[in-house]
Amino acid sequence: MHTLRTPAQEAVEDIFFGQVVLVWARWFIIIAGTILILWTSNSVHELTKAILLILPLIGVNFFVHGRYLMEKPANKVLLISLSLVDLVLVTIIVLTWTEQTGLQSNFFIFYYPMVMAFAFVFRPSMTVGYTAVALISYVVICIVVEPSLLVNSVALENLIIRSITLASMGGLATTYWRIQRKQRREIMSQVGNLEMQLGQ
Amino acid sequence: MSQISQILSEAVQIHSRQSQKISGSVALGQIVIVTARWILVLAGLLLALWNSVSVSELRIQILFVLLLAISNFYLQAQLLMRRPLANPVVYAASLADLVVITILIHSGGGFHSGLYVFYFPAILAFSVAFPSDLTLFFVISTVAIYATLSLMTGGYGAGGLQVILTRLLMITAVAFCGNFYQRIENRRLQAMIKAQKDLMTQIRQRRVASSV
Repeated sequence: MHTLRTPAQEAVEDIFFGQVVLVWARWFIIIAGTILILWTSNSVHELTKAILLILPLIGVNFFVHGRYLMEKPANKVLLISLSLVDLVLVTIIVLTWTEQTGLQSNFFIFYYPMVMAFAFVFRPSMTVGYTAVALISYVVICIVVEPSLLVNSVALENLIIRSITLASMGGLATTYWRIQRKQRREIMSQVGNLEMQLGQ
Repeated sequence: MSQISQILSEAVQIHSRQSQKISGSVALGQIVIVTARWILVLAGLLLALWNSVSVSELRIQILFVLLLAISNFYLQAQLLMRRPLANPVVYAASLADLVVITILIHSGGGFHSGLYVFYFPAILAFSVAFPSDLTLFFVISTVAIYATLSLMTGGYGAGGLQVILTRLLMITAVAFCGNFYQRIENRRLQAMIKAQKDLMTQIRQRRVASSV
């Protein structure tokens, strides 16, 4: 019985078991987005355009979820690509959806479950990168839309608080990931010792 | 024979340690809860210093933050000494966090306050530590209270309802995904424990065979 794992095998298992969390985080964002589209659209054209944007996301997520249920989960490259697409979509939403954009947009909170889910699945070094990209994207968008926020104390405070809490989502989720990995490795090494002794 | 006995004794010790570990998922998650609380403390201090209007108000805010820091330091110290707190204490502390955040939101204008983002790390922390039924209770309570507070403080317009709904959905998303991940990881650990038990069974069988 091969119970000892190399780091590469551990990473593959983490992706195998954890990707459903990414799928469910995306489903929540899709549900929120669909409700908002149906609620806020004022014309057929507007509704059609918005729904056409979200339909590919629904299709892809359904595909990934279906594969997981059939025990043929998606690979790392696909998951990372989809996560980056999520980031881009949320950033576009913050930048363009409704008249309130940038720091005034209420849809920056879509970043939170995505960053958290990513941190549950991938190793810390990748989580740091993903969280940093999300943070930088959001901050840059806010400054581009409203450059005066840099000299506006209240707006700057808001931006900093949001940045701290968004970064903490990645940090806390990755802390928990490390706790679980440490737990698994302890058990595996003890089982490995038993196996070796049994094999003598 | 003595080697088999030694193996058996180790196997029994491992089994009892692992049973304690698996049943203590709250203990495992306490580190996350304490860390989330440190973030709340630091951000609270930043807010207090940034927003200070008067000396008396600032004094109260700093005192409040310091009390939170001291209580969290006590929790951290217990963890460092490998003495995780009893579950009811952890539950009460997390409930206090949510109450504090809600009070901050209320004092900041309710619906118009941007401090609801503090819910996210707090909810993530207890969703990975607490059992599903307790997580559900905490989240439903948080959602109900925040929705009520928001509706009473100006969020009842059409635009406001959309915003409230979005916030509540994302709070629910964080709680659901966090707890779901905890369950996935618990199942993985249980599978490993089972592998251990199977191994121990083989050891016992070999002992019986060798004694015959």
